Amino acid sequence: MIVTPTTTDGAALDVDVLPVMPGLAALYAKGAASSGRLAAGRAIPGRGAEDSPALTLPTVAHEVDGLATAGLRSHLRDYQRLLHEPGSELLPSGYLHVLAFPLATSVMVRGDYPLPLIGTVHVANDASLLRPVALGDVLDVRAWAERLRPHRRGVQLDVVAEIRTGGELAWRGVSTYLSRGYALPEPRPDDATAPDAAAPVVEDRAPEGTWAPPLPTGRWVLPAGTGRAYGAISGDRNPIHLSAMAAKAFGFPRAIAHGMYTAARALAEVGPARGETYRWTVTFGKPVLLPGTVDVAITQEDAGFAYTAWHAGRRQRHFRGEVTPL
Amino acid sequence: MTDTYTLFVNKGLGKTVAKKLGLPRPALLRRYKSGAPLTVGPVLLVADAASTPDARALGEVMRGWGLDVVERFVASSTDRAPEGTNGPRTPEPSAPAEQRWGAIVVVLTGLSRPADAAAAVLALPDALKRLAPGGRVVTVSTAPADGDAPALAAARHGVDGFLRSLAKELRFGATANGILLAGDAGAEHPSTLAALRFLLSAKSAFVDGQFLTVSPADAAFVDSPRTWEKPLDGRVAVVTGAARGIGAAIAKTLARDGATVVCVDVPAAGEGLARTANAVGGTALQLDVTAPDAGERILAHARERHGRLDVVVHNAGILRDKLLANMDATRWESVVAVNVEAQLRINEALLAAAERGELDGLRIVSLASTSGIAGNRGQTNYGFTKAGVIGHTTATAALLAAHGGAANAVAPGFIETDMTAHIPFVPRQVARRANSLQQGGQPVDVAEAVAFLASPLAAGITGQTLRVCGQNLVGR
Amino acid sequence: MAARSSTPAKGSPLRDAVVIGGNRIPFARAGKAYADASNQDLLTAALEGLVARFGLQGEVLGEVVGGAVLKHSRDFNLVRECVLGSSLSPATPAYDMQQACATGLEAAIAITNKIKLGQADSGVAVGTDTISDAPIAVSDGLRRALLEASHAKTLQARLRAFAKLRPADLKPAAPGIDEPRTGLSMGEHQAVTTARWGITREAQDEIAYRSHTNLARTWDEGFFDDLVTPFRGLTRDDNLRPDTSLEKLGTLKPVFGKSLGPGEATMTAGNSTPLTDGASAVLLGTREWAAEHDLPVLARFVDAETAGVDFVHGRDGLLLAPAHAVPRLLARNGLTLADIDFFEIHEAFASTVLTTLAAWEDADYCRDELGLDGPLGTVDRDKINVNGSSLATGHPFAATGGRIIATAAKLVAQRAAETGKPARALISVCAAGGLGATALLESA
Repeated sequence: MIVTPTTTDGAALDVDVLPVMPGLAALYAKGAASSGRLAAGRAIPGRGAEDSPALTLPTVAHEVDGLATAGLRSHLRDYQRLLHEPGSELLPSGYLHVLAFPLATSVMVRGDYPLPLIGTVHVANDASLLRPVALGDVLDVRAWAERLRPHRRGVQLDVVAEIRTGGELAWRGVSTYLSRGYALPEPRPDDATAPDAAAPVVEDRAPEGTWAPPLPTGRWVLPAGTGRAYGAISGDRNPIHLSAMAAKAFGFPRAIAHGMYTAARALAEVGPARGETYRWTVTFGKPVLLPGTVDVAITQEDAGFAYTAWHAGRRQRHFRGEVTPL
Repeated sequence: MTDTYTLFVNKGLGKTVAKKLGLPRPALLRRYKSGAPLTVGPVLLVADAASTPDARALGEVMRGWGLDVVERFVASSTDRAPEGTNGPRTPEPSAPAEQRWGAIVVVLTGLSRPADAAAAVLALPDALKRLAPGGRVVTVSTAPADGDAPALAAARHGVDGFLRSLAKELRFGATANGILLAGDAGAEHPSTLAALRFLLSAKSAFVDGQFLTVSPADAAFVDSPRTWEKPLDGRVAVVTGAARGIGAAIAKTLARDGATVVCVDVPAAGEGLARTANAVGGTALQLDVTAPDAGERILAHARERHGRLDVVVHNAGILRDKLLANMDATRWESVVAVNVEAQLRINEALLAAAERGELDGLRIVSLASTSGIAGNRGQTNYGFTKAGVIGHTTATAALLAAHGGAANAVAPGFIETDMTAHIPFVPRQVARRANSLQQGGQPVDVAEAVAFLASPLAAGITGQTLRVCGQNLVGR
Repeated sequence: MAARSSTPAKGSPLRDAVVIGGNRIPFARAGKAYADASNQDLLTAALEGLVARFGLQGEVLGEVVGGAVLKHSRDFNLVRECVLGSSLSPATPAYDMQQACATGLEAAIAITNKIKLGQADSGVAVGTDTISDAPIAVSDGLRRALLEASHAKTLQARLRAFAKLRPADLKPAAPGIDEPRTGLSMGEHQAVTTARWGITREAQDEIAYRSHTNLARTWDEGFFDDLVTPFRGLTRDDNLRPDTSLEKLGTLKPVFGKSLGPGEATMTAGNSTPLTDGASAVLLGTREWAAEHDLPVLARFVDAETAGVDFVHGRDGLLLAPAHAVPRLLARNGLTLADIDFFEIHEAFASTVLTTLAAWEDADYCRDELGLDGPLGTVDRDKINVNGSSLATGHPFAATGGRIIATAAKLVAQRAAETGKPARALISVCAAGGLGATALLESA
């Protein structure tokens, strides 16, 4: 690529061009190993920030060029069926996220990446589809990490992925992660009072039953295999999504649905009114346990659609977000 | 629907066993099929000298129907000689030796005293031995009338006892019935011919030992195959209780004879009613005949939907058997309401329409029962209503006569239906065999009698009750 | 929400389409009297009853149109098969159509339009549904594997197709009555609408009580003697509870809206329709056709209007589409609510009737959603469903339209005969998918 990439804040990035899209399985193995190394050698959760070594993100972007989508027809079809997307030739934003996800993950398992992959929580996502991407388009994909910042419960950062077609930016996804128990030594003054305006509101900390859900417009009955099904398509085979037993090992009562699966379902159910280009955001709250029933309200607002999903019995919000035509 | 015993004793091993043991061997009765011969063989026409003109006329008619008629007119009892010597106009019966008579028609219209009967009667014994299975004996005689001289009355009444006794002697499904000519009705009256044809045919399979009286009445009549094939062509008939059993058979038979049939039954029986209506190409009218306006609604439906009303068959009826000692109001009153009061109320509406000049030539046929003639244990309510039907039929006939109409009743004996199928086995077997034909009748047997009485050909037959009972041993 | 057509039908060259009569079989609660009967059995019975009532044996009708909501794939030509199994002439054409619970009414609209245009002189609108014999499909996974295997050319490819199967794929898929786009059942959708409009439990139970008492009275009066033909030993709608009371209805536990929060669950099995089996048929034609066949004419099928609402994202209630259609229908015919003698508002739920009425009385809703200047108006409760409706009869989806048309047509005919003045009925049927069909009948 000729264009020199920069972060959102304008900082220059080096580019590390990978020959092919990396495989997620290998990345996870690497991530698990580096997580162990990081855990052993660095932060101990709960330790005071002043004791932490400085955390800095690598200033390098990973890039894969010339990713062909022509052969993905059946993969796309499987995705569309699972997410209730129409059987269109156009790639939904959630699908582009799936395509870029291995490259984004590769950034997070770099040797100079300061935080462990295991234990990192996906708290929000904000993706904009700027130009329609169709099956057959050839994609240039780039990903990097940026904006490491303090959070009340640790540190947050964004992993940005961009997809270009014909040299033009077509899609940009920003995934916000939280690493608990880490802290930045010198929080910037403006972050001290307001950690991050774009960061998730931590409604999952609200006491049970105190939040009043709106009237639902839909209900999802998610079978136990939902995590396995999305894992098979996205490649994200994190054990907490695959089986209750594995999830228990990580402290969850049952397997939990992929956050991006639930957000992508909401995106699909906005329907054709989202247009061909749109911004799609989500902020995650309480995880969705599988099997499970989720009440959702997907409602039209002034600029687009807002959606909220919750557990009707416990009156707890699972996630919320917006879909805005661009 | 023929009962299994009858089927068993009519073929193979069952036939042999029954024969050896002397068990009753009820015959498989011949029933009407379009296009089948009227009789199973040639007709022997017998008459005494005084009855010869009538006999000769009937012979001509029967030949016109395509029957092979052999005449044996006997001048006197002394004329009686070995067959083939003298006496009969046709000395040698045309039937070959092995051929059996399909029917024997005995014309006795000219009898003036009992002794006159011998000439014709004594010509019968040899002929009876050669009567075919399913054969017919039909007498044609003059009805007793007020003012008959004692000897004449004796002769005319005598035919009744003679015929009923003869009927009990016949075997193998053969029957004997009589036609009585009343008033000025002659042997050639259309209704005489219609009655003769009915009694000769397979349509009267279960009618045995009965008389039909023909009175003079105008009957538009053309003796043509079409007339006999579709006697109800262009007519509109209403049948109550048409959802199943005898009512459904009546609807089908009337439709076969050319009628458009309005099928009536209670709303709850609508499924069967629709089946009947669709089978006969008629219309279904879901109506409780006990409704106060049932008559008006029947009349309105028939006229609005089919333009006219010619025949009403009161077939709807219910059974609520109980010994009188145990009878309750519901059992009594419901049977009276359905079986007789409903018929009366509907007839009143029809008569009112006839009075207004809206109905001409209406023929009503009501279903009575042998229980209304001979009575039946446990059926005081049913017997009361069925005898009531016989009574009101005579009375209604008189009222309808002024409007060219007629009222008759048909009294079935034991008929194989869903209703009788629920009678316990032993009483059912006893009831079945207790008649000259040793079996139960079929719904179509009743239907054929109804269709005959409903047809305009039967114009001269009114106020009568025709039994369809195989000559049940009880009652007349 | 502007009216689709504002051209009055007056002075048009269209012919009159009339309702001659109807027939249905008694409606049966699912799994009861018709447990062994198929859609074809039910519809053929309804059709045969109609043929018998009107003497249509061997008749070539213009068209028989209708369908079923829950249908086996083998029943792709359900209505035609029923015609072939009936006493009608096999030369009578037929086609299947479906508009969820509005199937029966929409079928009548389709036929009457052809009649008005001169494309048909007669027709029968039919509808049938059975929950008892509902199609059970294989799961999507198994279905795809079977399809793939059937298309595969080699044994290996065939085996590969089945290798994708998971144990869960072997579970059969029962027909859903959930809205595909929302996953909410119709009852849950209506519970949301009920909560939004603040409809009380007591008002709903009152509607249910009147439905049962009105239907019981109507049966006793013999009103259905020429509208219903018994089937399989059932002579009356078996959901009817003539002895029900507000007290009994008040004891039932809510079944819908239980997750909406305290006090919001007001919909019970008593004020919601049960799953039901049944079929209906309505005979339609021109006046001339009726006269030629010596058949009576009950009512003129004046006009119809359908509507859809955006319920997917909660803008409107799933079952409120008729509220949109009716003002357009009335306006096109120059009528107001006051001109209607009988309102037949399909009781999918008691609250469907109540929310529809509330919507018409609400100035904001009428302005913002219906595009009216003010409230459409108030309906006299004594004109609504006077002979009972779906809460009492039950609701075999596609069969309900036919039931209502026949009842409404007979009601206006009777009223006109009594008063000597024309009488009108307004029919409103809500349907899954945010659909609604409405029609206007006038005494002939």
